[in-house]
Amino acid sequence: MHYEGALRFLMEEVQYMALAFMALVYAAKVGWFLRKPGVRDKAPLKGNPALGAVVSLGNILMPWAMESTRVHWFFYLEFLIFHGAVALTILSTFLIPFGIMAPGDGFSRVVVVAMGLAFLVGVRRLIRRISRAELRLISSPDDYFALVVLNLFFLSGIWALGTADTTGMWVFFIMTTFFLVYVPFSKISHYITYPFARWYYGVNFGGRGVIAKAVRSSS
Amino acid sequence: MQEKMAAVTTIEEPQPAVQPLEKPKEGPKPAFEPQDIPRMLEILEKRMNRPLAASLAACVHCGLCTEACHYYASTKNPEFAPAYKADLLRKVYKKRYDWLGRLFPSWVGGKELSPELAEKMYDLVFGACTVCRRCSLNCPMGVDYASIMATARYMMAAMNRLPEGLKATIDMHLETGNNMGISEEELVETLEWIQEELQAELEDPTARIPLNQKGAKYFLTMNPREPKYYPLTIQAEAKILHAAKESYTISTKYWDATNYCLFIGDGANGRKVAQWQVEDVERLGCEYLLAAECGHGYRSIRWEAANWLGRQPNFKVIAFQELLARYIQDGRIKLDPSRNPKRVTYHDPCNAAKSGGIIEEPRVVLRAAVEDFVELKHNRQFSYCCGGGGGALTMTEFAKRRLEAAKVKAEEIAATGAKIVATSCHNCLDQLAEINRHYKLGVEIKLLCELVADALIMD
Repeated sequence: MHYEGALRFLMEEVQYMALAFMALVYAAKVGWFLRKPGVRDKAPLKGNPALGAVVSLGNILMPWAMESTRVHWFFYLEFLIFHGAVALTILSTFLIPFGIMAPGDGFSRVVVVAMGLAFLVGVRRLIRRISRAELRLISSPDDYFALVVLNLFFLSGIWALGTADTTGMWVFFIMTTFFLVYVPFSKISHYITYPFARWYYGVNFGGRGVIAKAVRSSS
Repeated sequence: MQEKMAAVTTIEEPQPAVQPLEKPKEGPKPAFEPQDIPRMLEILEKRMNRPLAASLAACVHCGLCTEACHYYASTKNPEFAPAYKADLLRKVYKKRYDWLGRLFPSWVGGKELSPELAEKMYDLVFGACTVCRRCSLNCPMGVDYASIMATARYMMAAMNRLPEGLKATIDMHLETGNNMGISEEELVETLEWIQEELQAELEDPTARIPLNQKGAKYFLTMNPREPKYYPLTIQAEAKILHAAKESYTISTKYWDATNYCLFIGDGANGRKVAQWQVEDVERLGCEYLLAAECGHGYRSIRWEAANWLGRQPNFKVIAFQELLARYIQDGRIKLDPSRNPKRVTYHDPCNAAKSGGIIEEPRVVLRAAVEDFVELKHNRQFSYCCGGGGGALTMTEFAKRRLEAAKVKAEEIAATGAKIVATSCHNCLDQLAEINRHYKLGVEIKLLCELVADALIMD
């Protein structure tokens, strides 16, 4: 399916500009970060910092390695669904303009199901954030807004890909544009910061012989 | 104290001369003042390195760290959630460093540092966190809470706003060379008495505690509580080293294993203390510094000293529990576990395990030294802090909270049915003793060396 006119302009040129903006902001952020001094243990190491870094970065796929995800396995499952759906939704915004996927086709159905499940997860996460005292204490408007706006994004995606309604596609791509511009400034940009945190934690405590053992000997 | 602290932000400067402080002690101040704020922010800026920046930026407020904290696990107080405690500094970070936070601070939870916020930080960062790193081990994002807490603690301590007992301990160390102000004469007298006791116990006049022996292989450090309150610990260590026919010595000049500067993130004074230790080991030409069973002391000299000094010392560092494991594995000592027939469990000191990597060695020791060893439900680096870490035992104003927060540990100990709780840290030892009394556990608390000494088969 091919889109013409203003919608096509939104799907392509506007998206590219928004993507370029996002890349610029991220580059500036990473640049600021890299200008700060790095820290490595100077003492002779007991463990393996490289292995520590690998284990630390791979932690995302090892729910058994942490008690928090081992006990709250459903939370981890929700995490997989939510972030998997985010990845599929973003992928869709690249494939739709080129006609590689279209509303109603097989892949779109998969993405719609994923977005539907992710929406349910998002609602549950929102309820969790509102209902638990310790989460209310740490939550900022950005924390709530990120969940609300992502849920709306999933709904717009379901509208766009689950029906052949052009209005749905307009809403979906307007939201995509908004995301590309807003995300670098919000908590949603954690996918840029978290690898750094995991890397340094893994290198330092892998070197000390703490991290890599965590996988083998968790209680 | 303020002058002393002022040097700390420039830890890259040449090292100061190693001299005891001459300034009289000044008590900590009771509250933050508006003029403290610029200096605290300056410290934050100077300490902003990549791991700290990443840890401050990466938190997504998922709350998965919450149950990892023994303060929260024991009390269910939401203010004890690690993310909330870290957020007290993160708010300042968001306000000053986050781009959206600079424009719309309240949108991202940013807040300007104020005396009120600093007071809240004081209450929770000193009074409800032992910097144990258990939260980090349960954080999906890899946030190193300890680096955040150390920065917050130093920002406050540099303003001379820190718990009085902690300040007194650090001041005593900097003034006298050990944190209990034990004189050289007092130490020598104690060690000579212990040597006599050891000789009587072994009926062996050759059993000695060598002092200031140049070229000895091991330089044994001690926690000042050992000569002061627990001399039998030194006797147990000496007995084991004698049985292993080891070459070792104790310096009467600089022997204190502790370094409480670690607990306030004070790199400059931490370096000063570490430098005393390093210079004394190098003076005697020992191959190893043999660290007493002291969690933070081991971590300070094994891991942090080289960072503070900017160089590796000319000797290796080994913990007493590591050496014990090595002796057992090499057959250097023979043990009879039937001499320790009671059920034993082991509490992993956080600084030794979570920040130091000593995880399996105590288990090697206990399997050889006792008949019935059982693990706590949470063990190794995943162990709950006992509540005595981070200098908490010196902070008497938070003592009630410290004991309440130990409930989860007390329950785990009780569930094992153990009669003896072994550990490898004097802060843990004292806190476990308090837990034992408070929760009426009816257990004995022992260091590993004491259990090993009891099980030793002497040739």
